[in-house]
Amino acid sequence: MSQSPSRMLDRWMSAGMLAPALLLVGVLVLIPSVLAVVGSFYEFGITSQNWVFVGLGNYARAMADPVFWTALKNNIFLIIGSIITQVGLGTLFAALLDRGVRRGNTFYRTIIFMPVIISSIAVAFVWILIFDPNVGPLNAVIKGIGLTPPRLGWLGDPNISLYMLLVIAAWQNVGFQMVLVLAGLQAIPKELYEAAALDGAKGWRAFVHITLPGIRNVLMVGTLICIIGGLKVFDLVFVTTGGGPANATQVIGSYTYLQAFTLGNMGYADALSVILLVVALGFGWLQLTLSRRG
Amino acid sequence: MNGRTRLVAIGMHLILTVWTIFVLAPIGLMLISAFKSQAEIFTKPLSLPGSLNLSAFQRAWNIGIGSFMLNSLLVTVLSVAVIITTSGLAAYVLARSEAKVMKWLYILIIASFAIPVQSVLVPLYQMVSGGHMLNSQLGIVLPYAAFGIPFTTVLFYAFFLEFPRELEEAARLDGCSRLQIFFRIVVPLSGPVVASAAIFQAVFNWNEFLLALMMLTEKSVRTLPVGIYGLTTQYSSDWPAIMAALTIATLPLLILFILAQRHFVRSLAGLGK
Repeated sequence: MSQSPSRMLDRWMSAGMLAPALLLVGVLVLIPSVLAVVGSFYEFGITSQNWVFVGLGNYARAMADPVFWTALKNNIFLIIGSIITQVGLGTLFAALLDRGVRRGNTFYRTIIFMPVIISSIAVAFVWILIFDPNVGPLNAVIKGIGLTPPRLGWLGDPNISLYMLLVIAAWQNVGFQMVLVLAGLQAIPKELYEAAALDGAKGWRAFVHITLPGIRNVLMVGTLICIIGGLKVFDLVFVTTGGGPANATQVIGSYTYLQAFTLGNMGYADALSVILLVVALGFGWLQLTLSRRG
Repeated sequence: MNGRTRLVAIGMHLILTVWTIFVLAPIGLMLISAFKSQAEIFTKPLSLPGSLNLSAFQRAWNIGIGSFMLNSLLVTVLSVAVIITTSGLAAYVLARSEAKVMKWLYILIIASFAIPVQSVLVPLYQMVSGGHMLNSQLGIVLPYAAFGIPFTTVLFYAFFLEFPRELEEAARLDGCSRLQIFFRIVVPLSGPVVASAAIFQAVFNWNEFLLALMMLTEKSVRTLPVGIYGLTTQYSSDWPAIMAALTIATLPLLILFILAQRHFVRSLAGLGK
């Protein structure tokens, strides 16, 4: 009984310690996501307070909107492309740093990781300069060796601009995937390789039977990061192409922004962002179940 | 080392060197272009600047890079401080409580980790503008904090679960309250995880663009990413000034990274756990 006042105090103290975090997340993350769902059933503008109920109208509009499907297709293209380039190259470089290369290890790792911390706005502008049809060094090099650069420009040609975005994304993010896989590789006990070598398993067979199972979880996390990153991509597209030419590089993030703040279709933008939210929560749930298993 | 393994080793270095050059080339281009004159950019895209011309840096500075940087610094420091403090307190309570409510609160935090900022753009904009917090530093610090808390809480939660409880028990027997235990015992021993979380959130918020674009429309309150974006729409052909601005914006973080790269790498790779 003598403990009960201090227990009461403890309980109040716990509530007080939890409150700031819960309040911030609740008011600025959870309530807005509920409001986005509510808003997606209405039509309203940036400043107008005149909300018109349209039911599922905004979702029907998305289904019939070719730009929405282009944007979704582009998100999927960027997701698959970045899994192949970023997880692929990241794993290759990590493997080389972990077991192949002895000298210059830290040097390579530091340089290759560097773009991760540069703001995507800075990255975008440097690449705009590289790709610039008039002053860009890439065209100068291409012309220098006697080839013809694309007539509409690297970012202006709808057939190649999305691939160029993939190149920029790889430039920025391969280092992150590399470090992730490297951490996974270094966690594999070296004795496993020694034991396998005694059994005659070396090289490729050791890779398949020891290395791959050892980094399976890390690869899955890396893949999920590519998926979530590919769903959320905004800065790079917005700054380099603005979703153009003719919506060729539009993604859900940039299209939501366009609908909301350029065209003033707030309700439609809410519907677009709810679609994104559902997909993102689905992958979030997948990440949770996978990490529980791992 | 026989001939074949030597050849393989050279091949491995070659692969890594090619990517290293690929990574360095754009950064080099940024630095070199910042020292060029506007005429040199147009006539000699591939050559080094004729002289070390600092006028582009001066133009970039006069446009207001200095104030963008101060704003970025203010917003980053404030948001990281709020994230670390609130997440630390919450994660500690969550990790030390057996109550069922707490498990549900923790799951709620994890769920909010999966909500991308893009999904709440319109309501967030309306809330912030309704509260007359557009173009205010506090107006952007609060959402930055709110979106940083879930990940940081999960990170701290995992750390506190592994934290040795004997120390805390001893302090409790000495009559310390939960808050006292947290500040006297747990915080002093949480240095590495706090540093990791702080670095991660600082890099993220220093570079954040979308919310800043939406909320900071007045030039005087802009952070570096939106400030530079606005600058380029105004001075679109002045490549040296733009590259000088990018150099000023990027260099502090790059230097910090090279000095403390071990901590950076560990912190940012921790996201994968």
